[in-house]
Amino acid sequence: MNSMDVELINWILVVIGQILVAIGVLCDLIAAILMIRFPNFYIRLHALTIGSIGGAIIPAIGAALIAFGSPFLGMFRWFVAGGALVTALFIFILGGAGAHAIARAAYKSKVVAYQPCYVNQLAEDRGGDKC
Amino acid sequence: MKTLNFLESWVTNFLTIAMFFYLASFLLYLVRLFKGPTIPDMVLVIDALGYDLAAFLIILSIILRSPILIPCAIVLTLWIYALDIYVAKYLEAKEMGE
Repeated sequence: MNSMDVELINWILVVIGQILVAIGVLCDLIAAILMIRFPNFYIRLHALTIGSIGGAIIPAIGAALIAFGSPFLGMFRWFVAGGALVTALFIFILGGAGAHAIARAAYKSKVVAYQPCYVNQLAEDRGGDKC
Repeated sequence: MKTLNFLESWVTNFLTIAMFFYLASFLLYLVRLFKGPTIPDMVLVIDALGYDLAAFLIILSIILRSPILIPCAIVLTLWIYALDIYVAKYLEAKEMGE
């Protein structure tokens, strides 16, 4: 493998990583706008999903690919790439678990108002009224 | 004098532009954080802010060429999860659970 091939592989890794980072930036802006625009807590959970999966995991993997393909960073590019992949794995596991825990606590303790309410099947199953 | 090669300047310029979009979305998150009517809303925004800050720290460590920011991102993720669990436990049981 001569140096031309190595340079080509570096460029491919960097471009794929930049596409992932661009998708992540777009998802992050969309999530921030939706977090302001959405009317109540349970719908804002959807904005949190966009912000954590699209806005944090995908750019972390993209930054890992950029670091893999950047020889100008020296030896510590392996450290950056490995740390970015570990961070993406942690967000992938812990983000969903934390969001479920906080949503369940908010529903059980009735802290948040369930204001624009159209259907509430959990309350119907427990014999309560709709909404 | 050291000349910057093309790949290095390409990566650095791209990540520097992406950094400003991240800062703009952080400011938009802060609007909901200060406006949020209840505690779970604020925790939700802090979740999104913390996870995006972890990704932002990784990008910043490539821009600044400083590897010390990577363990900060990993530990920040774990602390955000701990905040979720603490607040959920407090809301359900009205006690912190020491």
